[in-house]
Amino acid sequence: MLSSLQHILWVVGLVLIQAVFFNHIHIGGYATPFVYVWLILILNKNINRNILLLWGFGIGLLIDIFSNTLGMHAAATTLLAYVRPFILSLFVSHDSQEDFSPGVRVMGIGRFTGYVGIGVLLHHIVLLSLDAFSLFYWHILLAKIFSCALLTVLCILFIEFMRKGK
Amino acid sequence: MRNLLDFILKNSHSFLFILLEVLCLVLLFRFNNYQGSVYFTSANRFCGFVYETTSQVTGYFHLKAINDSLTERNIKAEQELVALRRQVMELSGDTVKFDSLTATVLQGFNLIKAHVVNNSLNRADNYLTIDCGSSDGLLPEMGVVNGLGVVGIVDKTASHHALVISLLNSKSNVSCKIKGREYFGYLRWDGKDSRFSWLRDLPRHAVCHKGDTIVTSGYSAIFPEGIMVGTVDKVLDSNDGLSYLVRVKLAVDFGRLNDVRIIFRKGMEEQQQLEKEIQ
Repeated sequence: MLSSLQHILWVVGLVLIQAVFFNHIHIGGYATPFVYVWLILILNKNINRNILLLWGFGIGLLIDIFSNTLGMHAAATTLLAYVRPFILSLFVSHDSQEDFSPGVRVMGIGRFTGYVGIGVLLHHIVLLSLDAFSLFYWHILLAKIFSCALLTVLCILFIEFMRKGK
Repeated sequence: MRNLLDFILKNSHSFLFILLEVLCLVLLFRFNNYQGSVYFTSANRFCGFVYETTSQVTGYFHLKAINDSLTERNIKAEQELVALRRQVMELSGDTVKFDSLTATVLQGFNLIKAHVVNNSLNRADNYLTIDCGSSDGLLPEMGVVNGLGVVGIVDKTASHHALVISLLNSKSNVSCKIKGREYFGYLRWDGKDSRFSWLRDLPRHAVCHKGDTIVTSGYSAIFPEGIMVGTVDKVLDSNDGLSYLVRVKLAVDFGRLNDVRIIFRKGMEEQQQLEKEIQ
């Protein structure tokens, strides 16, 4: 269970780490992990959808301001926040009314990886397409989307296991 | 009416979603046209502070490599200086002449020192953040160089930080020429490899070989003539076959930028003000 205060601390910490560290990783010239999407993915399952959208927009905007891409991350993260309930319902049975935050501990590694994978891929397709808007190198775009998504999912799983280990 | 209200309330998240996405796209497409938007960039006070703090730490990592390349260039420049000095002496037999020659090269241009605090390489449009701003006398459209060559052009300025369009940006156009031959074209990045950029619109009759030096042409007011940009790596035909397309190996290593200089002409403010009044 994540309280709001705890989540705000995570947001501040992870946005700063994203800005000063993850944004400067370019493995092979392509792959940059956008680990901050984890902040949207782990919000409580039964959270009000409007509040979820505002979280997505706010976090995206913060990342944008740090990386001079105004609107780009915000658009992708807002979309992720909008579709998150649909993705989550694919991996969690409908009748489970219990209140929980998605994570390895509650969902199991297989289902959690599937949930994170689809969410991250969707987010990255929007984000990197907007970034490449004026360029037409579709093969570079595809390489970027898949390499970034793979790296992001690995980083998110790493964070999850670090937390689980505590 | 009641049904309508019910419908809106029930689907409020969808409306909010559309509203937020429209807002994002407006921000995305208007960002570059709006001068006041410096507060939404990494040049604002808080982001600038964060990046400045981290770059004070990371700045040490590349110091050795930067030092090596500067030393190498220094040695080369010194050898050239000795050779030129000897030649001038032979031709004129006069040392006063030499001093006046060196003074004319950068005449009328001022330099301001700055540090790069944030930098990106792998996006389609890359920007730098530097720790100098309008309070240090910076204005948009000033040129940014380092010891090795051209880095970019100042885009937006806050009071203590500024956003610089790096050469690795689809919006940057720098007028360049082949050193010693005077044929000119403009330099624009293609979004792929951060070590190379492309010189476009070079005329068909131009002579151009691998290894030739590319320097700024001095046709715009931003850079003085003859600042190093890079060397010719490959010469190709342009798509329409009317000009050459030259792959340029950039002199500046954008992966490890640290110290830069802002270069501007005396009287640039006046010129800009005049141009604004005319518009």
